[in-house]
Amino acid sequence: MEAKFSANAKDVMSKRGLKEADIADVVNTAEASNRKLFKDGVNLAKKRIGEVTMYAVYDNNGEVQTAYSHRMVLGEPVKTTDEPDLSDWTCKHCNERAVIGSANMSYLGVTRTGPAIVCPKCSDVWIEEYLATMTIAAAEGLFEKKKA
Amino acid sequence: MSELIGETESLCPECLKVIPAKKIAENDNVYLEKTCPEHGHYKVLIWRGVDDYKRLSSYAPVPSKPEKVAVKKDNIVCPLDCGLCEEHRQHTCLVVLEVTSDCNLKCPICFASANERYHYNPSLDEIRKMYQTALDNVGHPICIQLSGGEPTIRDDLPEIVRMGKSMGIDFIEVNTNGYRFANDIEYLRQVKEAGVDSLYFSFDGLTDDVYMKTCGRNMLDFKLKAIENCREVDMGVTLVTIVSPDINLHQIGDLIKFAKKNIPTVKGIHFQPLSYFGRFPIIPKDENRTVLPDLLKEIQRQTKGELTVDNFIPTSCTNVHCDVKSMSVLMEDGSLFPLTHRAMGPPKDTCCVATKTRQEISDLWRYIDEGMESGGGGEGTWDEFLQRARTNYLTISSMPFQDVWNVETERLRGCCIHTVTPDGRLIPFCLFNINSVHGKTLYRHEIFEKYATKG
Repeated sequence: MEAKFSANAKDVMSKRGLKEADIADVVNTAEASNRKLFKDGVNLAKKRIGEVTMYAVYDNNGEVQTAYSHRMVLGEPVKTTDEPDLSDWTCKHCNERAVIGSANMSYLGVTRTGPAIVCPKCSDVWIEEYLATMTIAAAEGLFEKKKA
Repeated sequence: MSELIGETESLCPECLKVIPAKKIAENDNVYLEKTCPEHGHYKVLIWRGVDDYKRLSSYAPVPSKPEKVAVKKDNIVCPLDCGLCEEHRQHTCLVVLEVTSDCNLKCPICFASANERYHYNPSLDEIRKMYQTALDNVGHPICIQLSGGEPTIRDDLPEIVRMGKSMGIDFIEVNTNGYRFANDIEYLRQVKEAGVDSLYFSFDGLTDDVYMKTCGRNMLDFKLKAIENCREVDMGVTLVTIVSPDINLHQIGDLIKFAKKNIPTVKGIHFQPLSYFGRFPIIPKDENRTVLPDLLKEIQRQTKGELTVDNFIPTSCTNVHCDVKSMSVLMEDGSLFPLTHRAMGPPKDTCCVATKTRQEISDLWRYIDEGMESGGGGEGTWDEFLQRARTNYLTISSMPFQDVWNVETERLRGCCIHTVTPDGRLIPFCLFNINSVHGKTLYRHEIFEKYATKG
């Protein structure tokens, strides 16, 4: 599948400093390995490239709708006592409905938890766009911007 | 074994003549060596750790020249024709505006030699002109430190602040000994309501013997009362601590502990190694100096490694050998979590850091506020970390000023902290204050005396 980019996606990616080649790599790797989430004709894939985890949201024709990234390193999902809510996403690899869970995320020596989409079977973890671009970006920004 | 690692110019401590100077590495120290044809040879310690000195060059800022300069003429002699001129390499990020040369104390140590010789108390109109000089020459956001002397001896300080804010000054801090704020909370409230954003508050130690040396009297009770009053009226405070091996170098660990206990009223500590200009008690030898690496090693030792030397990085705003800064979040267990580390390397974008920093930090808080709305808070989460970082942080910084012994014209030209003068100039703070062993200044007394009332 060849990744294509809508004008909107290009705009968002340029604002977030993401390269088309990297996001195409995310899509290709997910399609080749079947490691992705899907719902209603939309796919969510991720790949760690260098120091960054990149995400692509794309349709079944490979058209990328949005892309985002974070530098935090995702760790293990954290078990909660409550029964987790189901998410809208399904893990393609396990064909299992993913849940809204919580996972460890580490950055520059600090590990704390944050909400994540978790496959209960293979324990793979995904960060949704709102979190990556809001809380996680703010935390990363704290470490980086305050260097000045 | 000695190695020449740089050449610059300096001043003769006797006659203030501009003389060539060499930076020499020797026994893992860096020295400034200079010879005045008339007054002889001088050799002063400027750094410990030759590799460290060289490595910091990677933090050098991309210079961003001032957009406008007041001094335009041929054959400029730096630093004698300052104001700024076209040779100056860095724009202004903090403007020091002195509103009086008088003070309610007469400390044995005072960079301004306050309460001596003359009384300089610019009128509101003269102050308006100095604000205007800042507005004409400096890009936004414009940060002003009202200083002196002691600004709080002026009953019209709230008016001075309101005038600055109404003219478009973005940020105003007041440099103060806190004595009046300790005794007069209503005055503190008025100053706060007039628009002062924070206090730059001299706080030299946690015992009265320290204040006997720095202020010539017991001051601790007043200092503590002033902080209590600031907490009451919600005024943020940066503690400014003179540092000298002869006075209080052994207390800096306890001072950091004290600052932590007083977060969020206390936002930071600024360590100010004693510079030998203005009123100072001795002619300095190397063992009387605290160079930046000495201070950082002591911070690491006295905090038992809670903060390490590597947590302190140059701000990449002024010259890389002029200052350092660290930022930390105070964690749930009372420990500091440093956000700065040299392992992260220099900031990607060192250009215009000065003007961007404050704006970026305030943007960041806004950003974090929005980030908070994503939910998922609670113990041990990143959301909670951000919430803490917003209110429970501590900045620890230091900028040893240059004096006539260790001054380098190269560093002066990279300076971003400038005193505004009533004759419409902006002059690097160190240069403004530097004086010869005989007390002659190049700028301070020469300028202020002209605008002063004698007495």
